Amino acid sequence: MGEMKKIKNLKEFSTSADRFEGANLLCPGCAHSIIVREILNATNDDLVLSASTGCLEVCTAVYPYTSWDASWIHIGFENGSTAVAGAEAMHKALKRKGRLKQPDRDVKFVSFAGDGASYDIGFQWISGCMERGHNMMHVVLDNEVYANTGGQRSSSTPIGASATTSPAGRVSYGEKKNKKDMVAIMAAHGIPYSAQVAPNKWKDMVKKIQHGLSVDGPVFINAMSPCTTEWKFDPKDTMMISDLATDSLVFPLYEIIDGHKLNITYRPKNIVPVEEYLAAQGRFKHLFKDEYKHLIKEWQERVDKNWEMLQRREEAGV
Amino acid sequence: MAFEKMELNEVEVWDGNFAAAQAMRQVQIDVVSAYPITPSTPIVEGYAKFLADGYIEGEFMMVESEHAAMSGCIGAAAAGGRVATATSSQGLALMAETLYQASGMRLPIVLNIVNRALAAPLNVNGDHSDMYMVRDSGWIQFDAYNPQEVYDLNLIAFKVAEDHDVRLPAVVNQDGFMTSHTASNVRPLSDDEAYNFVGEFKPMNDMLDLDNPVTHGVQTEEDWHFEHKARQHNDLMTKVFPKIQEAFDAFEKLTGRRYNMVEKYLLDDAEVAVVAMGTSVETAVEVARELREEGIKAGVIGIRVFRPWPFEYIAEAIKGLKAIGTLDRSSPNGALGALYNEFAGVLVNSDQKTVLTNYVYGLGGRDLTKAHLREIFKELKANADAGKPTTELQQLIGVRGPKLAYL
Amino acid sequence: MADNTMGWDEFEIGAMLRSFDGPISDVALKPQEERNYSQNNSFTASVADWRIEKPIYNKDYCIDCQFCWIYCPDISIISRDKKMIGVDYDHCKGCGICVEVCPTNPKSLLMYPEQEDEEAAIAAWPEKEEKEK
Repeated sequence: MGEMKKIKNLKEFSTSADRFEGANLLCPGCAHSIIVREILNATNDDLVLSASTGCLEVCTAVYPYTSWDASWIHIGFENGSTAVAGAEAMHKALKRKGRLKQPDRDVKFVSFAGDGASYDIGFQWISGCMERGHNMMHVVLDNEVYANTGGQRSSSTPIGASATTSPAGRVSYGEKKNKKDMVAIMAAHGIPYSAQVAPNKWKDMVKKIQHGLSVDGPVFINAMSPCTTEWKFDPKDTMMISDLATDSLVFPLYEIIDGHKLNITYRPKNIVPVEEYLAAQGRFKHLFKDEYKHLIKEWQERVDKNWEMLQRREEAGV
Repeated sequence: MAFEKMELNEVEVWDGNFAAAQAMRQVQIDVVSAYPITPSTPIVEGYAKFLADGYIEGEFMMVESEHAAMSGCIGAAAAGGRVATATSSQGLALMAETLYQASGMRLPIVLNIVNRALAAPLNVNGDHSDMYMVRDSGWIQFDAYNPQEVYDLNLIAFKVAEDHDVRLPAVVNQDGFMTSHTASNVRPLSDDEAYNFVGEFKPMNDMLDLDNPVTHGVQTEEDWHFEHKARQHNDLMTKVFPKIQEAFDAFEKLTGRRYNMVEKYLLDDAEVAVVAMGTSVETAVEVARELREEGIKAGVIGIRVFRPWPFEYIAEAIKGLKAIGTLDRSSPNGALGALYNEFAGVLVNSDQKTVLTNYVYGLGGRDLTKAHLREIFKELKANADAGKPTTELQQLIGVRGPKLAYL
Repeated sequence: MADNTMGWDEFEIGAMLRSFDGPISDVALKPQEERNYSQNNSFTASVADWRIEKPIYNKDYCIDCQFCWIYCPDISIISRDKKMIGVDYDHCKGCGICVEVCPTNPKSLLMYPEQEDEEAAIAAWPEKEEKEK
């Protein structure tokens, strides 16, 4: 394994040479790009990457342009994880057979996919990759919606969000089902490392990515990615929304080691009410009508309960 | 990891599946990503056993679906190495999306399809529905009629697919059960001979060349898509046949076994002929021989390369024929059979007057008997004598109930 | 570079794109100005025409905290040797995140209309804001 890149502070981090390029076609203020940069810059090792169909894919490899400075592949919506798994298998085979062109270099295999491509259509493929023990990392860019196709609900869309296929209307408050707990499901595969990250907490992100890239076996990362277009906030506010998400504990940051041992990695000094997180986004606007206000209370209770559960799991240390 | 070569007898008794597994072992595939499905499962099992016994140095990904199997193959092939898998029927249907992706990215993967019917109703036996389903997917398609040919065509498929002037994936078809599970004599090459025939894999645009990063699987819209698809079509139309011919010639030199784009049996002076694929070819040849003793100048055309479609080779093969019956082993579901239509395309631009009729047979593994074939040849003879069809253009044969014939 | 007057026979098979012209090693250690980008790399393209507003950088107040560098989605904050140098206006889409995350008082980055003159803006930079007690 190559030496881990030293990133003590942001100044040191800023000497990184990005391997993801601008003039991609992502929306102004898109968090996908921020997350991808933080992940790629966390290592100096060589990378082989994939993206499943989705915003990231469709905005970074539109012929005749690529925004990737490392080898990259896209096959389809559901199988980006398996694409990287195949490449990783080839790397193993060629290494064993002495046919690698640069045998002394360390290569990391990372697949990126949205929540639609991970929680829904690509679920089985990711499960297979995690179960088979490839040396790879799967990163979900979790914006809780099919953003690339115009804002349809996925199984990551939270209760009360208005999406185009679960719209708020005269008799509906929008999405009726709660978000699927993907990190728990992936951890249940017994993989060495799974974690939830957010772009505003770059140091937590870098630490987790570096750990994830150093372990032997599959790693699952769920990255919260606020979507200016579908969450309906001003592009300049991406980091403010991220702060509200992590500080309200709607997106708690934690890691799960070897499929069971849970560590909370960020405890907000001042916990922000969930209501503030909801109020900052157009997709929850209708919840502030009188008839739906009880949902805000239920949101808070659900977040509190989840936080309590995470803390208990951490204390239990098993 | 242990990696041993295997001592083989001059003549082995292998079924089509084991012949495929042995060929896959001998060419030292770097990654096999596969999922079992009847009747191709023994290929995957055979390969797994070779791995367990230390005869495989490459990686074996036993994935969770056929879609993932081909997805893994695509990732592995783009990374840069020799890749293959096997499937059948429903598995191929699940894989279908990725077949277009593999060929569009010009990745030289070899896929053994053990032909089987498509549900519903569910059926595990052989017909050519699966082969037909993916005929426009941009893969080269070979057809083997027996285990020896499965073995030979696997070696040839790797050689052609991986050629840098081709860089297209290739299918080797064989009939489910009739070929895949029927043991017969196979004369294999030694491990070294087989490997040397295919040669060392030469990477191209490989993701694992870390100094030359590449982007595979881009998006193209109306301003680019047509040009890329046109390029692929052009290469299939113009570059593949010469390379297949080279491989066929080299293989004949090595083994004495001759392959042709279109196999011609008893055609030189033939008046009537059937066109078939898979195991039916051999049965048809046997019947044609018998009928010749009864005065019918019968011949058989076997399709060896189904894609790219060997249009010019067929134009040459049918010269002088007065009546042709195409045997389609797949329900066209509301049209004439694919072979009928492809042959009609050749005939309509020839000077000769040949009566062309279509027989749909053998669905879901229903036997094609010698009696059926005798009847077909006799009808073709009547067509030849009359200079026009004496039957409907399309008939379903071997099906119970009132006769089914159309047009 | 591929342009849309090219015919089907003029580009590489498989719609494959190369990030660089010729081999590059240690790309993770090579700053952009030292890389041999291919014309197919989006680095060579511009999204400047997406912007209605642009960030203007005033180095007088900058503390090189690098918040703008880390949170820029478009690799448009140019930092070298731990110092913020300026904005890459070919790749900046004008989202305004850099301004929002800038912690100095007054801010070292502010959004202005696209046509704004940089020198004039810096000359008229706002004063330090007194915090309400």
